[in-house]
Amino acid sequence: MRHICANCGYIYDPEEGDPLNDIPPGTEFDDLPEEWVCPLCYAEKEMFDPLD
Amino acid sequence: MKPSLSSLYQSVELCQDIPPLLIGERCNSNGSKRFRELLLADDFDGCLKVALEQESAGAHVLDLCSAYAGRDESRDLTTLVRMFAKSVKLPLMIDSTTPECIEQCLRLYPGRCIVNSINLEDGGVNIRRICRMVKRHGAAVVALTINESGMAMTTDDKVATAKAIYDIAVGEFGLRPSDILFDPLTFTVGAGDESLRDAAVQTLDAIRRIKSELPGVMTVLGVSNISFGLSRQSRRVLNSVFLHQAVEAGLDAAIVDTAKVLPLARISEDDRRVCLDLLYDRSDAGAEQGPLMRFIDHFSTAATDGDDDAESADHGVPQEQLATKVLDGDKDGLEDVLSILLQRHPPLAIINQILVPAMRHVGELFGRGELLLPFVLQSAEVMKAAVDFLEPLMEKADADSSTKILLATVQGDVHDIGKNLVEIILSNNGYTVYNLGIKVPAEVIVEKACELRVDMVGLSGLLVKSAIVMKESMVQYRDAGLGVPILLGGAALTRKFVAEECVPDYDHPVVYCADAFAGLKAVREHEEGVLQSTAYEAAAAVRRMKPGAKNAEVLRTNPVPETPFLGARHVVDIDPAKLFPLVNRQALFRGRWGYRRAKMSAEEYADLIRNTVQPIYDGLVKRAVDERLVQPKVAYGYFPCYSQGDTVVIEHDGREFEFRFPRQTEPPHLCIADYFRTRDEGGDIAGFFVATIGRAIGEETHRLYDTDQYHDYLMLHGFSVEVTDALAEYWHEVMREELGIAADKPEGLTGYVTQEYQGSRYGFGYPACPDLDAHVPVFRLLEPDLIGVTLTENMEMVPEQSTSAIVAHHPQAKYFAV
Repeated sequence: MRHICANCGYIYDPEEGDPLNDIPPGTEFDDLPEEWVCPLCYAEKEMFDPLD
Repeated sequence: MKPSLSSLYQSVELCQDIPPLLIGERCNSNGSKRFRELLLADDFDGCLKVALEQESAGAHVLDLCSAYAGRDESRDLTTLVRMFAKSVKLPLMIDSTTPECIEQCLRLYPGRCIVNSINLEDGGVNIRRICRMVKRHGAAVVALTINESGMAMTTDDKVATAKAIYDIAVGEFGLRPSDILFDPLTFTVGAGDESLRDAAVQTLDAIRRIKSELPGVMTVLGVSNISFGLSRQSRRVLNSVFLHQAVEAGLDAAIVDTAKVLPLARISEDDRRVCLDLLYDRSDAGAEQGPLMRFIDHFSTAATDGDDDAESADHGVPQEQLATKVLDGDKDGLEDVLSILLQRHPPLAIINQILVPAMRHVGELFGRGELLLPFVLQSAEVMKAAVDFLEPLMEKADADSSTKILLATVQGDVHDIGKNLVEIILSNNGYTVYNLGIKVPAEVIVEKACELRVDMVGLSGLLVKSAIVMKESMVQYRDAGLGVPILLGGAALTRKFVAEECVPDYDHPVVYCADAFAGLKAVREHEEGVLQSTAYEAAAAVRRMKPGAKNAEVLRTNPVPETPFLGARHVVDIDPAKLFPLVNRQALFRGRWGYRRAKMSAEEYADLIRNTVQPIYDGLVKRAVDERLVQPKVAYGYFPCYSQGDTVVIEHDGREFEFRFPRQTEPPHLCIADYFRTRDEGGDIAGFFVATIGRAIGEETHRLYDTDQYHDYLMLHGFSVEVTDALAEYWHEVMREELGIAADKPEGLTGYVTQEYQGSRYGFGYPACPDLDAHVPVFRLLEPDLIGVTLTENMEMVPEQSTSAIVAHHPQAKYFAV
């Protein structure tokens, strides 16, 4: 399930993962570590909304 | 012969074997929306149905009230009494304030009923009229402990008033003691009103004393008044626990929704304890919160508020109607409801016992993600309108009794959306707020705080610089003897910063508040005496990731583009229509406006966006164009430069302007200067811009705030910020085109967000170059005052809807944080 950052619009897509934060593809949003932040604007996980 | 009531069909003892006598409250045009609507439709059969339902639910007696402005109460009441007398087995309680109606009903009622009610409000005229007819017809009567000063609040007053009524009813009119049901009134413990913390105890003691000092009399109570302001589900439990306590104190009868009464056995130990703590105002040793907050927390973690009970939705005593209007953000008919309430309640009571709890409930729903910020603001608008209506009717002294908070955006900072939201939330939760505005020096804060004798001070600021200003001012506040807790808020602050840098330098609590509701919580904690400084546990804290490539060799051999000109230019005829396609609607809708997905399904959220949010946006775009609220202007240019370590040196007009940028302390140790060639490498060019959408939109935004249009204020402010960002995006693209590096065109808005283009712009004050002192050389280079942009003493741009950046063309340049 993709998630979107409410602060900047960046979309986290589990199929892509997040290379800038060393997150491998296939990682579900809920499985992202607590310390994970938006790679573009550094907003915390709680600023993300499910997209689908 | 035991004191009893009777209908055509049966007699009912006033003292039930298992007390209390249950008096069903639903046949009440003031109390029940459903009943009222049936009445207004002349659906008397429907009204009868409500009566029969209560009979099935276990009521012993039925209250009947049909008063409604514009209708003939006499005709309605006598019609209903005739119908009920024939078809309902239960005795009735005739609920009316019109003596003529009461008389007519007493004449036709075939049995013994109760008259609701008598009191000493007018000094004794009405009570005598009614006692006379009660005596003549042999009825029973409810006596409210209201005297000429109003509703009796203390046990002593309630008992004294009861005795005065007794002397008239029994002494003058020869009623028997058991003909009278004294209602010592109860007030809500759910409003957080300090003066009502012992409301339950005052009532319970009054019941005890009335039963003991006036032997033979009966007592009755409208139980649900104890819980106004609390959630529907928790009210049901509290009402039931309170009823049990009242019966133990000697209560004979209770006016209730019989379908909702819970036997004590069905209430868990935990629920019971939390209710009793609240009723008796007991603090839990070791608990941080007072009994009310514990009660609310306890029931909010229980099942949701979504009681899908068709009946509960229509529970509409005027008090409930008002609370619902606040909850729904509905101003329709507000003054009518307030006028009805003012007949019986003083304005301060309406504010403290109905409006404030309703807003608190709104805040709780927001906290649980069940109500979004724009709707919170609509509720606050209703609250404000109600208070504005009531204010002229209040005593000055009443207004002075609430907690006072001073708010200010600190020196050098012009941002105020967050602070203004705090003012909206606090003032509409019953607090007195003094908002000093923006750019306020510490000396003025001290002066005003003392002059206005405030209880708390709240400081706000967006800039990193403002956080430092706050920290440095702590010592000043301590030495000046400010003497009150300080709340700190603003995007640049963190819990860690406040705990480690601000708390130690001040001698009263310093508290980090992430948003308006955290501020509200802090004010409440201060009132309860449990407010503490923010603490930061380094070990427990989450160390945020630092995104970005971890090793990056910055190429030194990329070509330097040709610039169309060198120096600065000003562009003032930019078409706003060019900006709207670039507005980041996701950030606007979700981030600025607060329309988050929360607990909605994908479909529900899509509906919300389509039906509510997108139309708001479209309306604002139209307004912006029609009223020329967006007037985009840019001061920009290209300048020869070279990098030297962490500095970019701009050469202009025979002079050098230095920009020192910070470098990351962890790999890949990036610094903006790396994206520009050194002198040895041949030098480079740098682009700069200062862009604004003008002053008009900010002025209109503040006008909305000043006229209490909170919702529209939030909408327009958010819109103005995102349109400013869109201008930056637009102009950056223009510059890429001028430099000939615009071959990579971003795909859709997401492409712009993820920088699918060559180069990057870095906004001053943002993570890669947080120091706003860089604005000094920028302003010398570009002369943005020619497009109406100036700087505050802390180098912040005015108007707020302005943005600036250095533009790098290097293919590897992307956003990063230091």
